[in-house]
Amino acid sequence: MTAFFQSVFGWSYELAWFLSTIAGILLIALPLMLGVAMIIYVDRKIWAAMALRRGPNVVGPLGILQSFADGLKVFLQETIVPTAANKSIFVIGPIVTFTVTLLAWAVIPFNSGAILADINVGLLYVLAISSLGVYGTIMAGWASNSKYPFFSAMRASAQMISYEVSIGFILICVVLWAGSFNLGTIVEAQRGHVFGIINGFVANPLLFPMWVMFLISGMAETQRAPFDLTEAESELVAGYQTEYSSMAFALFWLGEYGNVLLMCALNATLFWGGYLPPLDIPVLYLVPGVVWLLLKIFFFFFIFSWVKATVPRYRYDQLMRLGWKVFLPVSLLFVVLVSGYLMYTGHFA
Amino acid sequence: MPKVKVDGVELEVPAGATVLQACELAGKEIPRFCYHERLSIAGNCRMCLVEVKPGPPKPQASCALPASEGQEIRTDSEMVKKAREGVMEFLLINHPLDCPICDQGGECDLQDQSVAYGRGSSRYHEHKRAVTEKYMGPLIKTVMTRCIHCTRCVRFSEEIAGVDEIGALYRGEATQISTYLEKAAKHEMSANVIDLCPVGALTSRPYAFEARPWELKKTLSIDVSDAIGANIRVDARGREVLRILPRINDDVNEEWISDKGRYMADGLGKRRLDRPYIRLDGKLVPVSWAEALAAVAKIAPGNSVAAVAGDMVDAETMFAAKKLVNALGGSLLEGRQTGLAYDCSNLAAVNFNTTLNGIETADAILIVGSHIRWEAPLLNARLRKAVKRGAKVFVIGPKWDTTFPAEFLGEDADILNLLPAHVWAALNGAARPALIIGGAALAKGALEVGLSIAEQLKLVRTLDDGTVWNGFNVLHMAASRMASLMLGYAQKGGIADLVAAKPKMLLSLGADEVDYTKFADSMIVYVGHHGDKGAHAADVILPAAAFTEKSGTYVNTEGRVQIADQAVFAPGEAREDWTILRAMADALGVNVGFDSFDELRAAMTAAVPALGVEGLADYGALPTGVTGKAAGTIAYPIKDFYLTNPVARASETLQRCSAELLHGAEPQAEAAE
Amino acid sequence: MTVGQLIKSFTLWEFVKAHWLTLKYFFKPKATINYPFEKNPLSPRFRGEHALRRYPNGEERCIACKLCEAICPAQAITIEAAPRGEDGSRRTTRYDIDMTKCIFCGFCQEACPVDAIVEGPNFEYATETRAELLYDKAKLLANGDKWERAIAANLEADAAYR
Repeated sequence: MTAFFQSVFGWSYELAWFLSTIAGILLIALPLMLGVAMIIYVDRKIWAAMALRRGPNVVGPLGILQSFADGLKVFLQETIVPTAANKSIFVIGPIVTFTVTLLAWAVIPFNSGAILADINVGLLYVLAISSLGVYGTIMAGWASNSKYPFFSAMRASAQMISYEVSIGFILICVVLWAGSFNLGTIVEAQRGHVFGIINGFVANPLLFPMWVMFLISGMAETQRAPFDLTEAESELVAGYQTEYSSMAFALFWLGEYGNVLLMCALNATLFWGGYLPPLDIPVLYLVPGVVWLLLKIFFFFFIFSWVKATVPRYRYDQLMRLGWKVFLPVSLLFVVLVSGYLMYTGHFA
Repeated sequence: MPKVKVDGVELEVPAGATVLQACELAGKEIPRFCYHERLSIAGNCRMCLVEVKPGPPKPQASCALPASEGQEIRTDSEMVKKAREGVMEFLLINHPLDCPICDQGGECDLQDQSVAYGRGSSRYHEHKRAVTEKYMGPLIKTVMTRCIHCTRCVRFSEEIAGVDEIGALYRGEATQISTYLEKAAKHEMSANVIDLCPVGALTSRPYAFEARPWELKKTLSIDVSDAIGANIRVDARGREVLRILPRINDDVNEEWISDKGRYMADGLGKRRLDRPYIRLDGKLVPVSWAEALAAVAKIAPGNSVAAVAGDMVDAETMFAAKKLVNALGGSLLEGRQTGLAYDCSNLAAVNFNTTLNGIETADAILIVGSHIRWEAPLLNARLRKAVKRGAKVFVIGPKWDTTFPAEFLGEDADILNLLPAHVWAALNGAARPALIIGGAALAKGALEVGLSIAEQLKLVRTLDDGTVWNGFNVLHMAASRMASLMLGYAQKGGIADLVAAKPKMLLSLGADEVDYTKFADSMIVYVGHHGDKGAHAADVILPAAAFTEKSGTYVNTEGRVQIADQAVFAPGEAREDWTILRAMADALGVNVGFDSFDELRAAMTAAVPALGVEGLADYGALPTGVTGKAAGTIAYPIKDFYLTNPVARASETLQRCSAELLHGAEPQAEAAE
Repeated sequence: MTVGQLIKSFTLWEFVKAHWLTLKYFFKPKATINYPFEKNPLSPRFRGEHALRRYPNGEERCIACKLCEAICPAQAITIEAAPRGEDGSRRTTRYDIDMTKCIFCGFCQEACPVDAIVEGPNFEYATETRAELLYDKAKLLANGDKWERAIAANLEADAAYR
């Protein structure tokens, strides 16, 4: 895009780079926000349908504008900052959550070469940024100066740290096979990965269990049901959001769903071939890669909603047991298996 | 003492008892409508049917059947059950099913008994009888269709009240109960037929549709409309007293109260002093309690202080005021507002010694200067009982309409000095002679003459059965009188002593009959509850509680100490009297020695132990060797029976009674139902 | 743990089964209705918003017997009665229902001897302020006038079973 600006408008490289980066950010962030709004609606619809309900159906045709109505309502609400709260941290908390969510999208490849920041340690960047996400929650819980938000923040930090460990090992398997931290390279590595026709690590018997674990860990990482212990309303009112209202509350919501979409995008990118069509057949390449990616994201989001509608919430000790006593050893085992297999077959040779 | 068997349980009953009474002694409940303990037996409702052997093989009315030796009575047999159901069905044939709009609903004998003893449903499909309403005066509302002809009201007015006002017209199904020519019932106790009526035919007109019995909080209290001290039940909802009903006390009021005592309740919410006032530039202006008490402090009377007690205050209030006056260094206390100054050194000489119950058995009674019907209607009912037993009654004083045969000897108190020979002979020859001296006679110096007559006639004597008979009686008119005398609210010269002392501060405890013009130099502090004469004369008004709004001890004219409970709270900023007097003590910078009502009552019973014991107080023996002369024409102090005290004067109902029954005003047009 | 259980555990068999079930439900017809536009049929005995009825000649039915006030388990009803000016009949001067206290048990309409207080078919009476839920006599009579046809029809439909 930089080159495009340079050639068409005759700008200097610096200006063109700057403007094209801004344009790229807007190109990703704005549709993302729109997507989040719609995906909240979709989430509610799916959830309702599985409970034999109708879900939102009043605002707009089939209730499609429900999220915007909610957004407007939230926007018009009074912002309440509790007297005893640590005001600056209280306000920064939701901003951190929201910003961090947007940041991670910088390295997701939407198509071959369509990537905002094509850095060679993309995956490490994703891990680093998503680890930062928990800070928003902790800040909110701490600054609220209220016991339930504080409990919630403690749960959130423990939960995220626990699952990032296993996610790390899972991703190592992927990186080992792809031989790169660059997400674009990882996607390309999946082209015709199995039998030379299936695009995606997921069909690899050694990596399929890793994908399942990644999916589950992703839910835990994004604090989605059945791992939404930080917002367990029967125990913690509304968790770290208890004291929030108005736009700050909305930012948490946007951040949360942005994270969910990010996790869906990572699932698609790391295991399901990203912007590649499912099969390595020339006809399928007629459909633009970004469409394939969006379809995959939507598919994973459906799974997220599906799980939310199906599985009851875990107990906190069950959550910890799953993370430390099941996922960690199993993912470690698979690191050994995958690297062993790759050494044995001379993959790196 | 016949022995009978009731439902297989053998028991001995007093001679002359009826089968119904025998069943009651055995603990069996017998339903009844016409039978009433204090009325003659009519036997016309047939609800009390029981099975009696030996006798005809049919159920018999137990109220009219004397219990006799060897009777076997069954109240639980199939025959009795069927008989009750049958009677109930007949009673209900012409009784309308209008319980929801009937004021008796919830406290109706017919309702209760039809639930308990009646059939589940009716088999009657014909037309029901309807009867036009009868006008019975401003107190009694009639819905005569509901009448079941038990004739309790007829018997009450005939036997207890002694006025043939209510009767039955026509016969059979056409029977109607009515007052004579549909004139208002004019008797002072006429409203008691409302309580007697077992159905909703006679209900209280002022209380019409006001409340249901289950909404009311019931408090036991004492009537203060006269000196009899009738036992009453105050029914209140929220902060409002809705009605007053009599309680049964055979020693005092049996189960009646006067209409004035009953409908004073309507005056409790009207003309109330509900905030303090002080007089500024000749006008009363409302102020806060702090300002009012500051005004009291500004009087700074030193020991130049006097207290006058009203007719309706309780002993505790008077004692608290006495403590306050004493603490300030004063000692001028008086309760006889109208200027009476009889000697109170011996309380037995100013007491109704025969007791209300005892006067029933007197066989010769001389009444001096008392309009008994107006001054003590309940005593009048007792006197009527005595006359029915054969007592002779003589009256010195202006004529009034007695409800029993009585001989009026003249209006001059001088007659007492030398009684006519036949009167003297009648009293002298009687086994239980009694002398009743009323307030009007006390004003003419009759007390001393009466005491000497008592000595000459030996009115205090031991009867053949060993009991002591004391025939000397003084009948007071104020509920507070005996307590005030016990607490020393009596100066030698009466209230004239207070006038002569020219106190800087006159403490008026709800005293509304005092001639305040004589106290023009005094600052008058009025502690009372109604904006009446006393409040008009006051310089500082401290709003206090009426008799339903405070606990208190009252002593009736026979020296009976009775305690009343608080039913509701005083309205607005009004406070209980003792708290006001306590606050005044602080404002005036003295210590009265009590901080709570219990402390006050303890201090009072320590000072006058008799006030701490419920029941008759012992005043000792009558004084002897008293001589005096009575002179002057007797004039009864009560000009209007219904408006004798500030609460009654504030009551719309009693105002209407006064206008209609005493002053001949046209009955107010009442919309027909 | 048997081998079967182990396999089930590792293949997440229970989860798969559960998700299959919810997926089937996903495609099932909805149990709920499109509420503001569609409504479920109501029983004649439905206990909704209260109303005070009138006789066909316009006379109010309530006779101030206070039975509803007495039976009300939530003590939501307050009645004051007095003889009416023009004809001296027993009428309420105040008939208040605190709808925030009411538990819609229907005892009041059971207790009423003249079918004056009824719980009508209306359930859509949400208000913006709490004070609007303190119904007075005028509001209840207005409700009665508004819903009389439906209430009368319901009472008639249910009359055979009373």
